[in-house]
Amino acid sequence: MTRMTRRELGRLAAGATVIAAAPGLAFAQPANPIRIGYSMSLSGGLAPNGRSSLLAHKIWQEDVNARGGINGRPVELVYYDDQSAPANVPGLYTKLLDVDRVDIVTSSYATVMIAPSMPVVMQRGMAYVSLFGAGVNEAFKYDRYFSMNVTGDDIRSTYARGFFEVAAKLPTPPRTLAILAVDNEFAQKAADSARFLGRQRGLRIVYDRSYPPTTVDFAPTVRALAATRPDLVFLGSYPPDSNGLLRAISELRLSAQMLGGGMVGPQIAAVQAQLGPILNNLVNWDVYSNEPTMDFPGVRAFQEKYRARAAAEQVDVLGNYLQPYAYAQMQVIEQALARVGKPDQAALAADMHANVFKTVVGDLKFGASGEWAEPRNLLVQFQGITDGDLEKYKRPGAKVILYPESLKSGELRAPYGAPA
Amino acid sequence: MSDASLPLAPAPAALPRASRGHLAFWLGALVLAGLLFFGLRALGNDYAYFAGYFILQYVVLATAWNILGGYAGYVNFGAAGFMAAGAYTAIALRQSTGLDLLPGILAAAVVGALLGLGTGYLTLRLRGVYFSIATLCLAVVLQTLVVNWDYVGGSRGAYVVRPREVAPFVSYGEYLFLVMLGLAIIAVGIARTVELTRLGRGLQAIRDNERAAEAVGVPTMRLKLVATALCGALMAVAGAPLPYYSGYLNPEAAFSLAYAVNAIAMPLIGGAGTWAGPVIGAVLLASLQQAATVTISSALNLWIVGWMLVIFVAVAPRGILGWFRRR
Repeated sequence: MTRMTRRELGRLAAGATVIAAAPGLAFAQPANPIRIGYSMSLSGGLAPNGRSSLLAHKIWQEDVNARGGINGRPVELVYYDDQSAPANVPGLYTKLLDVDRVDIVTSSYATVMIAPSMPVVMQRGMAYVSLFGAGVNEAFKYDRYFSMNVTGDDIRSTYARGFFEVAAKLPTPPRTLAILAVDNEFAQKAADSARFLGRQRGLRIVYDRSYPPTTVDFAPTVRALAATRPDLVFLGSYPPDSNGLLRAISELRLSAQMLGGGMVGPQIAAVQAQLGPILNNLVNWDVYSNEPTMDFPGVRAFQEKYRARAAAEQVDVLGNYLQPYAYAQMQVIEQALARVGKPDQAALAADMHANVFKTVVGDLKFGASGEWAEPRNLLVQFQGITDGDLEKYKRPGAKVILYPESLKSGELRAPYGAPA
Repeated sequence: MSDASLPLAPAPAALPRASRGHLAFWLGALVLAGLLFFGLRALGNDYAYFAGYFILQYVVLATAWNILGGYAGYVNFGAAGFMAAGAYTAIALRQSTGLDLLPGILAAAVVGALLGLGTGYLTLRLRGVYFSIATLCLAVVLQTLVVNWDYVGGSRGAYVVRPREVAPFVSYGEYLFLVMLGLAIIAVGIARTVELTRLGRGLQAIRDNERAAEAVGVPTMRLKLVATALCGALMAVAGAPLPYYSGYLNPEAAFSLAYAVNAIAMPLIGGAGTWAGPVIGAVLLASLQQAATVTISSALNLWIVGWMLVIFVAVAPRGILGWFRRR
């Protein structure tokens, strides 16, 4: 009889452990999961919104898997960081489809990241639900494209409508309009809408300028704008410059009957904390507010889960902006898949065109171009803001909805620049 | 005079050594390209084409940078500007005439060469860091122009709806890969020719000591202008397919700092001043970046480039080729 050394015994034990564990490991693997692939901006300029969207997606995944998956199949998310660089996107989507062989693809956040994925997605005939793209399908005209964005397919005649509808109710009818927008796609579309609708309502445009995204000192621009003494000021800006603009406006004490319009930034918790009372009476475009009129089924539960994890994940702590829409983006896929039963792209697209989707941002239906059939641009006003404390944004009353009428939760306070 | 006294008819002259070298290079490049193309086709995976395109575009860009930066020692920080000039030339040509990718590349080469020539004429009297700052300014000026030029999309960006397929290729990705493969071979071939001719030797003399080169009769200004024109043309050519690759291009993406950083880092890591150095650097660094993007975390991409640069500057300041030659 040969004697076994201690080392041989160790090897045997390790081998036996692996063999014993193997069936268990195989059993623990989810059975044929539905794989949803996308790129997401987890670093670079779009990362703050990209990372919070990813958290919303993960919460949806956990919710779905806790309910037993879709048609009994668990859901698996396959995602890569696109670094906010559009040039990375085509390669990543090709990898998702050819190497990872995902069943469904969905999009990263924002137009500049959605557009580069379109040629690859179209080539494979995938049904595609995008997140916060503005007019992407105007160029591609892809019949399997669907957009999770409230702007609809006619941004020019709908985006700034709320601003002018509310302005029409001012005690003194406005006669002059100033427009200032950053040189980027979304802000320029917003400014174009303000120009078009302002002229339509007979307003005299006394100031109409753009500024480069690299601008840091807004004092000269705001002085020039203030010199025209406009009744209405429509601003199209992005997060870094929204801060600079509003600070310059506050320091130079610019006042107008209504000021705001199409600023991206005041929707974000960090900006709200930084600007505090400067936001008071600002009238701005938005997509979500914790008002009773937007208490859609599931949205509170989602926000509770999101807020519980947001600080640890170092993302927007409120989740009052695109986060519910990111969750709803996945709900659209979930409901279409549940009805179709398999990832048949043509059938999924047909289902998305035909049905109403019940989501945490309300019921929605897609139009022929893939945008929302009914645009739902909100116009909100910050009211009673005295400090940068964020707790108030979790309750109704801090961000009151003025437009559309169906979601209205308060009355306009004018002018901007008046004490809180 | 008898026939016997007549000199013998000369035997067919053998190809000169340099010509044989050129022939071997071009044949080798074609064989390698063929193997690569048919190998990837056999793989039947479109992702390989996109990853290949990503790497090859940097081969062209790094090779172009090397002509001025490696041979002549003039460090160009404006690679992104030239590349974007090529991309926007292709977009403008498509908008105005409807002409597609290949004419766009030709037009980009012409525009890039003229831009390089003009920039060279204005800036080549500057040396060292002053020249580098001037090239950086060029990229800023070009970006400002593009942002305010609505015809090519301005700040909103431009959409390029490319055809889904181009006969006889399996996919548009394969077509783009082949085009970039061809451009990479041409770029490396041009760089090699520059290196082995009087032009290259003149540029090397400028790099070592410009005043001494001038004193011994090297037409320094003329050679530098040729180099900037070549460098500009090849960088613009690298950028021309970009809008077709991504389907959408905005100024932030076209003038991305990553192009400028990689265009410098790749030749330095591979070995600047040789035609093979930028190829080695581009293949190594771009492959690493592509692999990092889809494996570890793409946030580590520029971290990897940074560390590679630090390591090579410390351990092999003359790049991979220089390190092997020293040994």
